[in-house]
Amino acid sequence: MTEKRNVAAFGPSAGEVFAFFFFLGRKGGKARVFALLGLVPVVLAVVVRIVLHGRAEDVMAVFTEILMVFFLQFYIVLLSLFYGTSIVAEEIEGRTLAYLITRPLAKPGIIVGKFGAYALLMALMVTVNLALSYFIMNGTRLGEASLYLTFLRYAGVLGLGILAYTAFFAFLGAVLKRAILVGLVFGFGWESVIQYFPGSTQKFSLVHYLKSLLPYQPRGGGAGPLTILLFRLEPTSPAASVLILAAVAAAFLALACLVFRLKEYLFEE
Amino acid sequence: MSAVIRAESLSKWYGNVLGLSDVSLEIENGITGLLGPNGAGKSTFMKLVTGQMKPNIGSVTVRGRRAWNDPSLFASIGFCPEADAFYEDVTGWEFLTGLLRLHGYSRTEGAERAAGALDIVDLVKDKDRLIRGYSRGMRQRVKFAQAIAHDPDVLILDEPLSGLDPLGKRKLIKLIKDFRSEGRTVLVSSHVLPEIEALTSRVVLIHQGKILAQGDIPYIRELIETHPHVISIRSSDPRRLAAGFVSDDSIQKMTFGADGRTLVVETHRRDSFFGRLTDAVLEAGVEVDEITSPDDNLQAVFDYLVGK
Repeated sequence: MTEKRNVAAFGPSAGEVFAFFFFLGRKGGKARVFALLGLVPVVLAVVVRIVLHGRAEDVMAVFTEILMVFFLQFYIVLLSLFYGTSIVAEEIEGRTLAYLITRPLAKPGIIVGKFGAYALLMALMVTVNLALSYFIMNGTRLGEASLYLTFLRYAGVLGLGILAYTAFFAFLGAVLKRAILVGLVFGFGWESVIQYFPGSTQKFSLVHYLKSLLPYQPRGGGAGPLTILLFRLEPTSPAASVLILAAVAAAFLALACLVFRLKEYLFEE
Repeated sequence: MSAVIRAESLSKWYGNVLGLSDVSLEIENGITGLLGPNGAGKSTFMKLVTGQMKPNIGSVTVRGRRAWNDPSLFASIGFCPEADAFYEDVTGWEFLTGLLRLHGYSRTEGAERAAGALDIVDLVKDKDRLIRGYSRGMRQRVKFAQAIAHDPDVLILDEPLSGLDPLGKRKLIKLIKDFRSEGRTVLVSSHVLPEIEALTSRVVLIHQGKILAQGDIPYIRELIETHPHVISIRSSDPRRLAAGFVSDDSIQKMTFGADGRTLVVETHRRDSFFGRLTDAVLEAGVEVDEITSPDDNLQAVFDYLVGK
């Protein structure tokens, strides 16, 4: 007897696409490059550990800088930009879209499945490198429970950032041909500038909400060279920040699904 | 017999460019060849049939269901795209089993089907090599394998023979014919008449987005035969060679090339002309450098049929 599930419904479609692209994503060269890039803070952590001899206060301040500057405002934005826009764009550029849309799969399931696969892949890369750098730097305090709670908080914030950015970039990729360029301007232009605007304007950046969930812990009383990158102008409450980031992720993912369902992706013949 | 694929007043354009214009067509069980020069609209038609595009006007149905945004329809359709495009970082085995999982097959059943399809296309021993390392012929075969692995009722093949060597073509033609013999529907496109001729006698001629003619191969051949053939002969003395043909009633027109060495002949009866040519050359005692038939291609025939 044939063992075959009906995958035309949204849930099964998303599940099968998730499994396929999580596998493909792990095998791709892109994952290796980004995983290597993620080792930069790990190397830094080793250096810091040696230089600061594990002085807890200093170590946490340096780690906050690594977290804010590298992970939050560079690594997850870059990862989300490349993986998010590629959800649709890589199928069009690689002319492989026909293999997906001529299968009995719901189109929104294709987007959500790929989104889930790539988000998990990114989360693994980020979490592993975050954990390595965090625990190397705090190697003298491994017996403290608060260390692990803080780590979970940081990983959770970065995970939320990955979801929100990737959903937004997935939407851009579904709508635009040159999504990566627009994404670069958004991720490293708009986000870097708007968060420092006073009043409501800062709230039009995702990084504003992400920073609102993290501690402001500058070195040298706020006079250090990276202080501006850690600075939070008027933080939003943690609960509101989580809700807004989750809503942004859900809304842009839904929009990406809608566009993908309605739009024809015409290739050059 | 009822139509498996039915297009009614189907039109599709890309911005200002017309892809397909008012096409009405019924395709039944068996193999149907979609024949037309590059850019004729073959791929557009196939993309509409496989739901990759939405018609601007008209409709296209497969077994009575519209193809656009009806995913469950694809459980019984196999599509082999024209583009030489793959997920390159996977092996042939991973490619097939992965796509079969997207059909909803369990791991075990997917593996069995993948093994069967790879066996059919003779790729079992290369199944664990990365697709990026496959030859063109192997890539065409694995593309065909993914189209048949889920045992579809309807198989849509867009230029499946392009880029294959003669042996590869012969193998794939046999595979397609075997598939047809199991009572299924195959729509296959090509811009090469002999390829289609080797597959089926049922042909649809498409050109500039329109269906020019449809019927069996003898009918198409007859259409083509009404087209005067142009044959160019480059020789040491074209005028003396021409003298031998003056009384030949198969010749419609003879002209001389500006280079003084070329005789251009127009004839409705090409076979008869070539039958006489050897004798005429010997009688005239001229040396022939080259014989070409500049319009002996599908594009010229299509241009003739549309009255260009």
